[in-house]
Amino acid sequence: MHKYFPTQEIGSLKKPSWLLNVVKNPDISKKDKSRARNDAALLNIKTLEDIGLDIIYDGEVRRVEMYEEPVRHIKGFKFAGRVRSWDNKYYNKARITGEISYQQNFHAEEFKFIRENARHDIKVPVTGAYTLADWSYDEHYKSKEELVLALARNVVRPLVKDLVKLGAKIIQIDEPAATSHPSEMNIFRQSVNESVKGINAKVVVHACFSGNDYETLAPQMSEIKAQQYTLEFANRDSWNLGVNDKERKGYHVLKLFKEYGYKGEIGIGVTDVHVDRIETPKLVRDRILYSAKALGDPAKVYVNPDCGLRTRSRTVAFEKIKAMVEGAELARQAMGN
Amino acid sequence: MISSYTVGIYPRSEELIEATRKNSKNLSSFYLREKKEYIAIQKKAKLGYVCDPLLDWDDIYRPFSKLKSVKLAALNRIYETNTFYRRLSFDGPLDDAGNIVKSSLAISLLPKNRTVCLADPYTIADVHLSAKYTKREEFTLAIAKMLRKEIDTLVKSGFELVQLVAPSVAYNEKVDFGIVKNALEIITRGLKAKTILHFYFGDVSKKIEKLLDMPVSGLGFDTMLTPISSIKKHNFSGKSLAVGIVNSYNTKLEDKQDCITELNSIISKTKPDKAFVTTSFDLQYLPKDFAVRKILRLGEIARGVRSA
Repeated sequence: MHKYFPTQEIGSLKKPSWLLNVVKNPDISKKDKSRARNDAALLNIKTLEDIGLDIIYDGEVRRVEMYEEPVRHIKGFKFAGRVRSWDNKYYNKARITGEISYQQNFHAEEFKFIRENARHDIKVPVTGAYTLADWSYDEHYKSKEELVLALARNVVRPLVKDLVKLGAKIIQIDEPAATSHPSEMNIFRQSVNESVKGINAKVVVHACFSGNDYETLAPQMSEIKAQQYTLEFANRDSWNLGVNDKERKGYHVLKLFKEYGYKGEIGIGVTDVHVDRIETPKLVRDRILYSAKALGDPAKVYVNPDCGLRTRSRTVAFEKIKAMVEGAELARQAMGN
Repeated sequence: MISSYTVGIYPRSEELIEATRKNSKNLSSFYLREKKEYIAIQKKAKLGYVCDPLLDWDDIYRPFSKLKSVKLAALNRIYETNTFYRRLSFDGPLDDAGNIVKSSLAISLLPKNRTVCLADPYTIADVHLSAKYTKREEFTLAIAKMLRKEIDTLVKSGFELVQLVAPSVAYNEKVDFGIVKNALEIITRGLKAKTILHFYFGDVSKKIEKLLDMPVSGLGFDTMLTPISSIKKHNFSGKSLAVGIVNSYNTKLEDKQDCITELNSIISKTKPDKAFVTTSFDLQYLPKDFAVRKILRLGEIARGVRSA
């Protein structure tokens, strides 16, 4: 019998403080820094596997950040400086000043290391073309659509192809900006489809919640060439147990996906990445069972945190993942699986 | 030459970003030094009105968290941007208003031709919460009364131009213009200062006719989202017109002559009582170096345009 509710992470984990101390120290050699990154990657891989996640990565431990990392390697971008995300939090925003082009597989080293050291399945997160465009200043292209498609065809697609050549079987296109402009969903759809054209791998799309409860995503889902969406639900849900509509208010939109005829998989976010409070396995179980019923097929349900857990301490993040794994097992038992 | 000013919050320098992140002991002196610098840049650009760059405001609403009955709530996205603000919950009477904004400005550094930027009551009620004011109109009017107290203090302190930024009026498809108007009347009735209602984060081309009926001295537009062609269709006699032609959301520097030509054309078509050229909205969406170039370019454009 097929195992229901496979568990997976979304991507980032907080980097260990000892790693940051090493990589920021100008007196430590490149070789030693590289060794430290390998140690940190191995620690994350083994920890996630020991907790029992079915599908893992390395916590994106080698990447600066999901936007800055790829931008550093794509020709045509120039960093402009930091702009505010909120309060005292900033991100490094880049300008696009010329034709963008792919230079090399900038995730090759991390992927090869994970491939060699992981026992479980691997899902590779890749920042999507739409988000790269949306979070940048475009000084070159005539329209956002033109820029997004150039990034999809000339950067993300070759990168994904190269990863698949190295053995990647599951690619997650990370698109936190996906639903932030409801009027641009058409561009977003083209962006993913162009990015994965001709790719022989399972395609997962991760899109953060952006204020419209995925209502603008729902009509597009069947038209996008993805086998799975990993989405954010837990941070809008109640903390009470139960599998009814009242308690599982964060997951109502799943019914809308079904109404629009979406037949693929959903990686349901069962863990709120914005709070330290740890979900109980029973709460995770109820979120999973409600989702399975809403989608009408338990085989379509994967289980993950809402988003990357790098906003939480490593202790909290691993506790949350542990509760998630235990909750998935409880849900399987409830389903007789 | 026409008048000019910038809208909203300015970006912090790299040095100030680091100081705020580390909560440095001498943070207030960092703020003061950089405020002085930005005010000097506005003067150098010969802007018609000079503002406090609001470097110590984490978002345009944050000073109101100092009101006794206001609590900080969750982070929320600023419309469709990648920037977030902290929602406020207005849970009780707002009687202690009057000196909140003034105490959050470096007034002593500003010249006489000073302007201040606040959110309009409709926008504040739209993007924040209240446990006390459960009906939208009641909440909006309570905010308007609170803002009026603040603005009266500011006008007494010499502010000649009050910008009321109204992104929710621009962004929301459905707007109750009756509430917007009633709230603005509370703010502007008998006020001895010019008031400009400024729209961004949405295209207001289909709303301009109704907006011209609002009890404010003038209207301001982000021309990246509200097409200039739609503004030109309207007559602004009896009103001021502020044209946000300098893009605060892109590093690309505007061509001076193109902007001057466009502004001359807008003014000749719309015939406003007074014309201003402005940034499209807050410069905080750009890194400091680019923001400075935009301020200087804004001044150059203003000096090149024929008066209204």
